Amino acid sequence: MGVSDLFPGSGRTRQLGLAAVMVLQSVAAVFFVGDAGFDLITAPAAGHSVVETLVAVALVAGIVLSARELRLTLEHVRAQDRALETARGELARVIDEQFAEWGLTPAERDVGLLALKGLDAAEIAGLRSAAQGTVRAQLARIYAKAGVSGRAQFAAWFVEDLLDGGVAGPERTTG
Amino acid sequence: MTDQNMTGARAAPDTVRPWDPVVRITHWSIAAAVIANGLITKPGGALHVWIGWAAMAVLATRLLWGLIGPREARFSAFPPDPRAALSHLFDLVRGRPREHSSHNPAGAMMAYALWACLVVMIATGLVMTGGKSPVTITEEKAAVAQGDWSKLVEEGDAGSDHEDGGLGDTVEEVHEVVANLMLLLALLHVAGVVAESRALGRNLARGMVTGQRR
Repeated sequence: MGVSDLFPGSGRTRQLGLAAVMVLQSVAAVFFVGDAGFDLITAPAAGHSVVETLVAVALVAGIVLSARELRLTLEHVRAQDRALETARGELARVIDEQFAEWGLTPAERDVGLLALKGLDAAEIAGLRSAAQGTVRAQLARIYAKAGVSGRAQFAAWFVEDLLDGGVAGPERTTG
Repeated sequence: MTDQNMTGARAAPDTVRPWDPVVRITHWSIAAAVIANGLITKPGGALHVWIGWAAMAVLATRLLWGLIGPREARFSAFPPDPRAALSHLFDLVRGRPREHSSHNPAGAMMAYALWACLVVMIATGLVMTGGKSPVTITEEKAAVAQGDWSKLVEEGDAGSDHEDGGLGDTVEEVHEVVANLMLLLALLHVAGVVAESRALGRNLARGMVTGQRR
């Protein structure tokens, strides 16, 4: 439930608003063009008709351009979503592999993942409906297997990977 | 929730792309217009013509979007392919349809059929009203209601399209027949969505409402 969960939502609402306005513009344009066309047929030379035609052309051009803009916005937001998704998947894969390498048991993997997400022993115990002592023992075993001094170093192991450019996700998805 | 996102990111690849808002808005606007003009409004009435013109605008927007919209909204993402449509229907009957990033082939054929119907409806409607915009029609009706019948006379003089057995009648008949065909196709479309949703085990209609197709 972080920032990343909030932004796609608000982005979508904005896109929906833009799209709604675009459709509304088209409806307005069609009525206007229809009326202007009628005037143009009945009184082609009148200054009134010329202005109306000009407005109609500008309206239609505006709609086409805003459609293009909206398309670009949509693609942009989607590319970001994809990159984020891939980065998430990549991190999950890295963690998975590392856990396997350390030889963590399935229970230890679960506990380790929750610990990486910032939950403390009491919270983990609550989630897994286990005793706090059990979780503490599991955490200690995890740290021992990983060869780290404690939670901070344990988490840093993976952040370090990220900083070294271990995630190649975003580049891979473009194109 | 977040846990699911993290570990499940790989499980659901990017084959199913969400429907963009333009596709969704135009879809439901057209659906509303078809229901309103096919079943509710008085044929030939001013409201009927207003809705018809609005539908023309929405259809034009969708067709424009089919050229310059995002990938899955473009015509190139779902070319009309009757053979693929048939094989998709066979798969559907056997209960194992494949996922598609845009419309499935059968759905694509349905979309083109409905659009063709809409074009015919709008064209014949325009011919029947002499291409007058609903603004003009409403104004004329108001004038006639106030006792100014000159508009009716004008129409009578120029009204070659209102002769019995002439072009006007044919156009009107086409308008009615295609209207019924379109309502039938719409029913088939809904049936297809229900069948496909069952087979895929997820509600396809929700994707057209919220945009999320997974």
